[in-house]
Amino acid sequence: MAGAAAVLLLAGLTGCSSGAGAGEAPGQFSVAASEPEHLMPANATTTADGQILSALFTGLVEYDPATAEPRNAMAESIHSDDGRTWTIRIKGGWTFHNGEPVTAESFVDAWNFAAYAPNGMGNAGYFSKVEGFAALQADHPTTRAMAGLAVIDDTTFTVRLTDSFSQFPILLGFQAFYPLPKSAYGDQRAFEEAPVGNGPFRMDGRWRHDEAIRLKRFAAYKGPAAAAAAVEFRLYSQPGAGYEDLLAGSLDIATDVPPDQLAAAAAEFKSAFIERRSSAFYYLGFPLWDNTFARKELRQAISLAIDRQAIVRAIYDNTRAPAYSVINPLVPGSRPDACPLCRYDPARARRLLAAAGGWHGPLQLWFSTSAENQPALEAVANMLRTNLGITDIRFNVYDFSQFLSLVKARKVTGPFFSSWLMDYPSPHTYIAPLYTAGARTNRTGYANPAVDAHIAEGDRAPSVAAAIPAYQAAEDVILDDMPTIPLWFGKTRAVHGDHVSHVAIDPFSRIRVQDVRVTG
Amino acid sequence: MDREAGLWADAWRQLRRNPLFVVPAAVIAVFTVMAVAPGLFTRTDPRACDLSRSLLRPSARHWFGYDLQGCDYYARVIHGARVSMTIGIATVAGTALVAGVLGTLAGFYGGLVDTVIARVTDVWFALPTFLGAVVVLSVLGGNGLWQLTLVLVLFGWPTMTRLMRSAVLAVRDMEYVTAARALGASDVRLMVRHVLPNALAPVIVYGAIRVGIVIAAEATLSFLGLGLQLPAISWGLMIAGAQPRLLTAPHLLLFPGLFLSLTVLAFVLLGDALRDAFDPRLR
Amino acid sequence: MGRFVVRRLVQVIPVFFGATFLVFALVYAVPGDPIDALAGDRPLAPAVRTELRHRYHLDDPLLVRYGRYLEGLAHGDFGTTFTGRPVSDIMKQRFPVTLRLGGLAFLFEAVVGLAAGVLAGLRRRSVVDSLVLVSTTVVVAIPVFVLGYCAQLLFGKQLHWFPVVGIREGWRSYFLPAVVLGALSLCYVARLTRASLVEAMRADYVRTARAKGLPERRVVGVHALRNSLIPVVTFLGVDLGSLMAGAIVTEGIFNVPGIGQATFSAIHTQEYATVVGIVTALVLVFILANLLVDLLYAVLDPRIRYR
Repeated sequence: MAGAAAVLLLAGLTGCSSGAGAGEAPGQFSVAASEPEHLMPANATTTADGQILSALFTGLVEYDPATAEPRNAMAESIHSDDGRTWTIRIKGGWTFHNGEPVTAESFVDAWNFAAYAPNGMGNAGYFSKVEGFAALQADHPTTRAMAGLAVIDDTTFTVRLTDSFSQFPILLGFQAFYPLPKSAYGDQRAFEEAPVGNGPFRMDGRWRHDEAIRLKRFAAYKGPAAAAAAVEFRLYSQPGAGYEDLLAGSLDIATDVPPDQLAAAAAEFKSAFIERRSSAFYYLGFPLWDNTFARKELRQAISLAIDRQAIVRAIYDNTRAPAYSVINPLVPGSRPDACPLCRYDPARARRLLAAAGGWHGPLQLWFSTSAENQPALEAVANMLRTNLGITDIRFNVYDFSQFLSLVKARKVTGPFFSSWLMDYPSPHTYIAPLYTAGARTNRTGYANPAVDAHIAEGDRAPSVAAAIPAYQAAEDVILDDMPTIPLWFGKTRAVHGDHVSHVAIDPFSRIRVQDVRVTG
Repeated sequence: MDREAGLWADAWRQLRRNPLFVVPAAVIAVFTVMAVAPGLFTRTDPRACDLSRSLLRPSARHWFGYDLQGCDYYARVIHGARVSMTIGIATVAGTALVAGVLGTLAGFYGGLVDTVIARVTDVWFALPTFLGAVVVLSVLGGNGLWQLTLVLVLFGWPTMTRLMRSAVLAVRDMEYVTAARALGASDVRLMVRHVLPNALAPVIVYGAIRVGIVIAAEATLSFLGLGLQLPAISWGLMIAGAQPRLLTAPHLLLFPGLFLSLTVLAFVLLGDALRDAFDPRLR
Repeated sequence: MGRFVVRRLVQVIPVFFGATFLVFALVYAVPGDPIDALAGDRPLAPAVRTELRHRYHLDDPLLVRYGRYLEGLAHGDFGTTFTGRPVSDIMKQRFPVTLRLGGLAFLFEAVVGLAAGVLAGLRRRSVVDSLVLVSTTVVVAIPVFVLGYCAQLLFGKQLHWFPVVGIREGWRSYFLPAVVLGALSLCYVARLTRASLVEAMRADYVRTARAKGLPERRVVGVHALRNSLIPVVTFLGVDLGSLMAGAIVTEGIFNVPGIGQATFSAIHTQEYATVVGIVTALVLVFILANLLVDLLYAVLDPRIRYR
């Protein structure tokens, strides 16, 4: 008890102010960020994690900030004859921030580390297509290495998948696939406080929780050098706080403009106010295990009764874009007119509802409290009321974790509002995880063999581009079946001051800090 | 019995002439009617919303303007009275019931019963009220009117119980109680017919004020996202929804805020007037 | 006196265990799986999930976990969050903020409340008295968050006198939230002071003092005031604890990163350890404050000691 009291006493006595805001050294800039959860790449699941790690690490592949197209970063070449066995050659001479050379082993060891279940790494699932993955996921695995990974020499290794997968190279830019230095496997907690990577920036000091993370340029980087000498990620937990600091002149790049100041910000900052589409996909999913929603016409009717454009304009102030497809326009293969059943048509909606036998009783909507979904769902409910005559609509709102548990446990009794972010810029990421029968993130319980067949066809295609028509065919079936109603896609914003230039947002909603230049 | 009749009759006479009782009482009466029959105040459907009217300002034809969803705000504020009044009265009734039973038992019997009840009350007092309510509401899950009422009763009974207990203590040893006991009245009869009526005055006073506190608490919990949920119409929900657009649409905060404050004020003033009426020293 | 102190101290023990166990049980009864919360939408392999549940002892019986928690408490260890951060770190970061906010609010309510109450009490039925009565009644009626929003709107956004969010500007940014936080209690302090003073002024000993020919200032300052302050002081003592817990609303409105906000987001992300840690600390504060107030009361009013 004395211990607890001592902690409290200390807390009270040592509370000095978080003295930020002092003038920054030349060549340094500050950018708003959120407190990450994990800075161990194998365990980094959130966007906040990814923002920091993408500056500290360079993966095999990176993505063009404008077009999202993958291009080789640390990889020299990624090649396969049959889409199943891949030979990866990496560039030689690269080192980690601590001088340790980056070799093929650095990748293979890191991937095995992530896939080995007892390590408890959140990104293990990304290796599920590698041969030997199942053995590392058993209750008491007898091996720590996946059979499908083999190191050939210092700069070459091979990956053998359980089946051919045309999109494999595109995955390799995701943080789960980053290489790790040997120090990561020792004291993991210490590693997370100051990760050692192979990217254009290195840690300057430790991770100051809820305060800041400082990085400085890595002098021995073999790729294109970072434009600025140092960057400070200021960790904000309150939306709007970063923007206030930007206005006060103590922050260079902010990403959280409050809704009632958007117009003012755009007018004031002009070209320094950047907005672009994000990879977020927002949809209304149906609990297809519940017979109430078995009829396709019912689901289509609901889709047609929602005026997405009106909601995006009135509720979201155009910080979203209405979704007329399932594949986000950010990635190749997206078509703007893919979904005729997404265009607002209340008369047709009523006809379809009648054809489905009408609706009786209460309609339960389910959603989580995060991301301020409430007003949008209210608007949707009002539209269903006005256009379809469904007057008894009940809301079931839960915290995100509880909500997710309920959805996974199939305890939801009506349409649920959910969102999805891409892991890699391929149409595959919007189709397979959500609509393949039995997929772990397929929340609706949707199962259509035609869709699975199209996806498999795309996976086995000889190239990334050749896979697209097959994925689009899958999307056509999905948009007719309507297991989910596409609602809108996300947008991200950034605002910056005069101190910096060349600020760009990448397709993962991160600021490309290595490209930002410090002016004046 | 003469003394008892004297206290209540005196109080009523004084209250009738006190404007600080009559006016709040009238206001409460108006809000009660509003809660029971909102149709008397507005013909518009508070749920007939049209996004094209989103955030229109108050005007001569639409007194309170429109909210974000394009619903008539005047109609919504009127309908919001039902929730507040219901929760306020139901909660205090429930609290008074619990406090009445526990407080009377503790005050009347004293000894072990009193000690046990006092310790339990202490534990409750040690819990940070609001945080406790937040945690309990998260556990209970659903956010219906009755869950909320339960939680508010759960966090309000200690104070009222203590009040009841001290009132009972003050009355228990009075002569007429001893006389009734000597005449062979049972414990229950003593408690119900003799002790309770005389101990009621402070509880009534506190109860009136508590209704105001509870109404404000419901609004605060809704603001925190833990109170009622859609599609319930509650002043607290409306005020919470006003926050993102304080600058551009202040009318969203103003009207429900005004009604809420008026209601709470009325109950507080009522309680004050009742206290003055029952306090013999102020005659 | 000594026996009274001992008796009070002994009473604290079951209260402490009762309250902390209640909190512990409530928090861990919340439905939902925190491991799910960690994983978010990412695929989480079942073997990994089992490992994580084992690591955080999520499958042990409640009493065992409570015992383990108490043991940690004795060493000053409030547990760790699911992302590996010690809860005491979070508390060390957040408590000072709330302490500052609560402290400033306390100062505000004590000073202004006492002054207003004394003024009103001394000049009964004057303009000042009516003003104090009316304003305190009105402020009591307005819920804290409405008051907060109005203050934010008026003083922050329209008049630009104070910063609207955050704590970047040092003491200036604490001012508005502290005033809002302390406003309600201030009304109680003012009214309580006024009522006690009025009652004290009518007491026999005041009449005696006046009859003895003492100057009015001494009569009021030394005799009436000291006695009327007892109930006020006891109220203030207990109020400090409730200020810190009640700050949750004010912190939300003004984006002050204190323990209220921390608890709130911890509940939402199912970070059990943080919630239990902070609430336990608050319980300790409450109990201590109550104890001190009771002891103080016993010192000031000898009649209590012999009950």
